[in-house]
Amino acid sequence: MKPVELYCWHFMSYPYLPKDFDEKYDTGWVTVPNELWDAERSRGLLREYTDQLVYASEIGFDGMVLNEHHQNIYGLMPSPNIIAAALAHATRRGKIVVLGNLLPLHMNPLRVAEEYAMLDNMSDGRLVAGFAPGSGPETFNYDAPSAPSRDQFWEAVDLIREAWTRPGPFAYEGKHFPLRYVNPWPQPTQRPHPPIWIPAGRSKGTLRQIAKHGYSYFLSSRSHGSATAKSQQLFEQTLAEYGQKYEPHRMGILMSVVVGETDEEAREQSREGIWYFLRNCLKGHQRREGRQLTYGPGVPYIPSEEWRDFLATTDPTTPLLGDTEDWDDLQRSQSIIVGSPDTVYERIVAILESAPIGNLLMQFHLGNMPFDFTRKSMKLFAEQVAPRLREASQKIYAKRFPHLADAPAMEVVK
Amino acid sequence: MSARLIATTRAQVSVIEAGAGAPLVYLHGFADVHACMADLQPFHHALAKKRRLIAIALPGVNGSEELEDGTGVDDVLFRLLETIDALDLGAFDLVGHCAGGWFAAELAVRHPDRVKSLTLIGATGLFVSGQLIGDIFMQAQPERGVDYKTLRAMLFSSADHPIALEHYPDIRGDIDTEVRRYQMLRFGSFVGFRPPYFYNRSLIDRLYRARMPTRVIWGEKDGMVPLAHAEAYAKNLPGAGGKPVIIKGAGHAVHLEAPEAVAAAIAELLVGA
Repeated sequence: MKPVELYCWHFMSYPYLPKDFDEKYDTGWVTVPNELWDAERSRGLLREYTDQLVYASEIGFDGMVLNEHHQNIYGLMPSPNIIAAALAHATRRGKIVVLGNLLPLHMNPLRVAEEYAMLDNMSDGRLVAGFAPGSGPETFNYDAPSAPSRDQFWEAVDLIREAWTRPGPFAYEGKHFPLRYVNPWPQPTQRPHPPIWIPAGRSKGTLRQIAKHGYSYFLSSRSHGSATAKSQQLFEQTLAEYGQKYEPHRMGILMSVVVGETDEEAREQSREGIWYFLRNCLKGHQRREGRQLTYGPGVPYIPSEEWRDFLATTDPTTPLLGDTEDWDDLQRSQSIIVGSPDTVYERIVAILESAPIGNLLMQFHLGNMPFDFTRKSMKLFAEQVAPRLREASQKIYAKRFPHLADAPAMEVVK
Repeated sequence: MSARLIATTRAQVSVIEAGAGAPLVYLHGFADVHACMADLQPFHHALAKKRRLIAIALPGVNGSEELEDGTGVDDVLFRLLETIDALDLGAFDLVGHCAGGWFAAELAVRHPDRVKSLTLIGATGLFVSGQLIGDIFMQAQPERGVDYKTLRAMLFSSADHPIALEHYPDIRGDIDTEVRRYQMLRFGSFVGFRPPYFYNRSLIDRLYRARMPTRVIWGEKDGMVPLAHAEAYAKNLPGAGGKPVIIKGAGHAVHLEAPEAVAAAIAELLVGA
């Protein structure tokens, strides 16, 4: 039985905001003034962040995760492919997960097919190809039109998959991206193509697309609990509609993890970074205070009837992750797991027991967390949490999915 | 007043009608019938005293079928023409507010023989350098989950205007109203989210074709479409008399805030049967 795969995700936040940022600015996204960028202090910042991911590869994480954001303080990675290229060159092991390129924001998806194929060659077949439609902030950043963006997105994914699998040259008869000659060189190293991961919420339509094409489902939610278990069940049911059986590695989730020698040390060392992340980085994204751009009537990409359901089943004044008030509140959201190796192990096992998911994508650096402590936390996780999690996960999966028990176990990289 | 769905050659379209006599086609904007309010407002009733008013709901809005993805302005105009054909209207007076005003201008330059008179109220449609049309999508994202103050300030003369507070309150309001507002934003995102932002750079040089009697009416405090757009329309539309009618103290939704004054400005166009 293949154990849980443990990935290190870096968002590369901007750590040098002024202390009074939250009082003075209504968002960390799209319109946050870039005069706040301190070029001198930021020298070496992207190298350090990239090195933290290289370190993850060295100490035994199963992979490194990157994603695409624009014009914000939450993630300084408008082009994750550039960081992925650096990682492909600097590391020899671990998957490189780009989750993902935001397809409606790219002039031509063929370029994404080409760059991903390059990355797969440069990394010797270690690329996981993520595709995402982008959410509210990205819509504003690039004037990606809201309502048609979903349709554009699925057409772009289709074009890229065909570019990797259908012998070229061929003409692509797309509505949004018609192309006379599709014939990319190089082709990916992994055949027929690198694994494709799609971030999604709980939209049935999206899950059907993922199931139908054999992609993997990354649940885009930072908080976990019964909703995560429900998403896993929904995906399992959706796969069944297409005659497929759920397998834990078809699904991934994101969480933030901070490990210290003791619970006290973990909290002490991460307090400032966590609240910097919650109050500043999530302002405009997952916080009620300020203007939230991620979801809402101004980015109307879901059909009107889905919006009606959304209105009927949600309360717009419910606090979001960024509104977290204290440690107890934080503990309830099961989003940022903080503690000693024992504490972190127990809390993650509890999540896996309620939702048997095979890919854990973990953010270790939050906000302006000190870099040396970030590395220490990663190392404590890799040495004292990961081995136990891998073992426990195999038991959890075997119990829930006896039909998988006979499948050959993947080699566990120490 | 009657609301009904009519079948064009390709789609179901929602229309609300009132009054009798020669037809007047009304194309709505954001703060308007169909796009926010379910029923006609005092301004529309004032027009219906002189004409058979037909307020057509734009695609995807208030019961009208949505257009397919990838839609452009041309598809919107053909939907309107198909609706007008289905109603067998012949020639008609044409009034439009905001984006509805843009479509009215586009129809008038294409079919000047069909449009007896043209009224543009706070209309988008033109590109005027340095005078960008406001980003209604950004303002439609509430602050603190429910605060629509900046959206009200864009659409009305003040965020505290009673009509603004009635239709855009700082609570999750009546779901049908919220869905109508959403539908109009969703429709708008097909034609105004990315550049061109609710405008057509070619339109200004085509305006000379619309020689029918014309009124260009703007609220003095329009927070969405700058007054420079009113001047540009009035200067380039031959029937507009060279100057816009500016209603003092009113905002972008001037027809809601000052219905009598706007109706009076149009009245001279609506002579005869």
